[in-house]
Amino acid sequence: MKQILKILVFIVPICIFAFFYTYLSKDNSYPGADYRVFEIPSFALTELYTETELSNEDLSGNFLINVWASWCITCRVEHGFLEKLSNNGVRIIGLNYKDDRIDAVDWLKKYRDPYELIIHDLNGSLALDMGVTGAPETFLISNGKVIAHYRGEVNQMIWEDVFIETIKDSEIIL
Amino acid sequence: MLVDLSHFLSVLSTTLFLLTSTLVLVLDCEKKHSSILIKRAFSHAFILLFFSFAIYVYLAATDDFSVVYISQHSNSMLPIFYKVTSIWSAHEGSMFLWILFLSAWGFVFNLNKDSNLKIKNFAIGIVSIIIVGFQLFLLITSNPFETNLPFSPINGADINPVLQDPALAIHPPFLYMGYVGFVIPFAYGLAFLLNGNAGINWEKVVRSWSVSAWIFLTIGICLGSWWAYYELGWGGYWFWDPVENVALMPWLAATAFVHSLSVASKSKSLRIWTLLLSIIVFSLSLFGAFIVRSGIIDSIHSFANDPQRGMYLLIFIGIILFSSLWLFTSRFDLLTSKTKIKSFSKESFISLNNIFFGVLIFATMMGITYPLIYELAYDQKISVGAPFYNAIYAPVAVLASIILIISIESKWGRSFKKIQKFNQLNLSLALSLVAAISLYFYANNGSAIIYMSAFVGFLLLIRYLILLVFNTFQKKHINIPSMLAHMGLGMLILSVSANSIFSSERVFNMYPNDIKTYRNISISFNDLQLINNSNHDSIRAVFKVVDSNGKSSLLYPEKRKYFVRGQITSETAIKVTPLKDIYITIGDQLDNKSWVVNVQLNYFIRYVWLSAIMMALSGLIIVISSYRSKP
Repeated sequence: MKQILKILVFIVPICIFAFFYTYLSKDNSYPGADYRVFEIPSFALTELYTETELSNEDLSGNFLINVWASWCITCRVEHGFLEKLSNNGVRIIGLNYKDDRIDAVDWLKKYRDPYELIIHDLNGSLALDMGVTGAPETFLISNGKVIAHYRGEVNQMIWEDVFIETIKDSEIIL
Repeated sequence: MLVDLSHFLSVLSTTLFLLTSTLVLVLDCEKKHSSILIKRAFSHAFILLFFSFAIYVYLAATDDFSVVYISQHSNSMLPIFYKVTSIWSAHEGSMFLWILFLSAWGFVFNLNKDSNLKIKNFAIGIVSIIIVGFQLFLLITSNPFETNLPFSPINGADINPVLQDPALAIHPPFLYMGYVGFVIPFAYGLAFLLNGNAGINWEKVVRSWSVSAWIFLTIGICLGSWWAYYELGWGGYWFWDPVENVALMPWLAATAFVHSLSVASKSKSLRIWTLLLSIIVFSLSLFGAFIVRSGIIDSIHSFANDPQRGMYLLIFIGIILFSSLWLFTSRFDLLTSKTKIKSFSKESFISLNNIFFGVLIFATMMGITYPLIYELAYDQKISVGAPFYNAIYAPVAVLASIILIISIESKWGRSFKKIQKFNQLNLSLALSLVAAISLYFYANNGSAIIYMSAFVGFLLLIRYLILLVFNTFQKKHINIPSMLAHMGLGMLILSVSANSIFSSERVFNMYPNDIKTYRNISISFNDLQLINNSNHDSIRAVFKVVDSNGKSSLLYPEKRKYFVRGQITSETAIKVTPLKDIYITIGDQLDNKSWVVNVQLNYFIRYVWLSAIMMALSGLIIVISSYRSKP
């Protein structure tokens, strides 16, 4: 009994330390960023406010798709930055992810709406096809193709290092 | 160069601290003369460090921008108060302060007389070696004394405007004092193990030290919460921000620790657990420093990201923790007590609540590390937020409070007799049930667990009030600190639940001279003023707020633009009434010239901080009375 207790005392801190050791020693240059290029999967969903049907044809040009939800705390943090982007003329299309329509509209009323258009993805079907695992996530789209994808909160630093870099490299105008 | 003198003194004090610990190793610690030598070495080391810091403060106050750190975090336009507090606005300087406090606790402890020379000297040795480790960390990885000569700038950068606030200026010092204060019980507990005499009541010696550190930690957390509320504009008292959580964990552990200390010093039971807790509390405090300073977590609190620092701290903390755990397990037998804890005795209830404290600490640790584990495993970021913590904290707080209620009548070392005074308990149960139910019918929203919590909050307050009244009449002894702290807990639970039931917020778009009504409160946007200050310009809005009872008041939320960094901040304006705060912030001006105005009604939020003050006060009473009772 005593022996077990003695060993137990060590196990939890050893796990914690081993974890933080691996965490610190790994090279994490933007772990959330992903630069795979793929086409936007085909979808048929509705607009959040108007409930009109939306499909791939409604999306054209260069823009961002931002996955958000009213239940997502980090989205609230990210929101101010998105608003700044949209004020600077960046087109942002919202992908409302597994969210109640009423909650989502209320949320936008409360925090204001930076989105050009919002796709309401109640079951997360489009999100699933796009490889979304949570909210917030942001995709950079150029003519129907995803060219950059970031999982997590986009802020000034991420914007510059992940998105602006990709925009420069692919020579597109947002 | 003064900065070189400061640097030199700091290095010198490091070597002297190292010498102190070497002396403890080589000298016979039971002898009086070696004890004097150790005492002097430690005191001198502290005095050197103190002067090093004092010179650094002078440098900051007189704008010596040849020091890189000062030039990066202070400038000549700052008021002198903030020039000094800018020292702990970033990593290097705050680490310096942290170490100063660490050694200050050691210094005061060192001056104190102790009947057992050997244990005291061992403890001093352990404290010294910890100080040396952190000083090396400071000097090697984050040197605040670096200069940028010969090209020193004429003026410095600026301290982050959100840090230019009196609450912030004192919030980190209090927290640091709390964190590092637990070095005394930690070192003394280890010294007790090294000494190997089970008969010594180390728990009694460290009790007031631990309670003092606990008071600092309580006040530090409370100040931080208050600062975030009115300065950061977070609009609430707690956000489960990772850095709030790393302060909460040592606080929970320390609370469990001070309770266990009284069990262990009174009845010789729970000794193993108490010693383990002393290790846990200090390790969690160090863990907090690690989390904040390694840049692992993004938060308002985190300092510049540097993996080298994180690795150094991790390894050093690991050495401290594992060597102390090894010592602890190897001297296990020293602590095993023959006295069994009787069921339904005071000890039994405290042990039970210790488990609850453990659950909360473990859950909080999971909440902090889970997103990181997830990130490591799946390369994705997620966040663990309030719903997770609420789901765990609310039921555990309810259960623990119920056990606390039952334990009020219990006695040390024996099971309590039932029936006798149970009418008091029944009376308070009935009253609080009525209170909770009327609260439900009055507010009519919120979930069951919130009303459960409110009920428990009422129960704690009413139970202790009844006890106070009865015992005063019957001229019986009242344990005032215990009553005060636990009523504080009751008030905390009650105000937190009432806050979540009643509080609400709304964002308006308003033009000047607009009037809006929100929950029977009329808000009129009267004026906009431009104000010039020494280091910022501000736009000040004037709002007239008329409460439902007809009382009106003027509120002045601001938007400030700071010259040096060009940063824009919002200053909140708060109207405090006994029940609620009317809290207004202004956001951006929109293209159509209207302003975004955020109005929040925060109910009972002041009582959250009041309860923390009650707890701190109860600690203060314990410390003072323990000094009085000393010969």
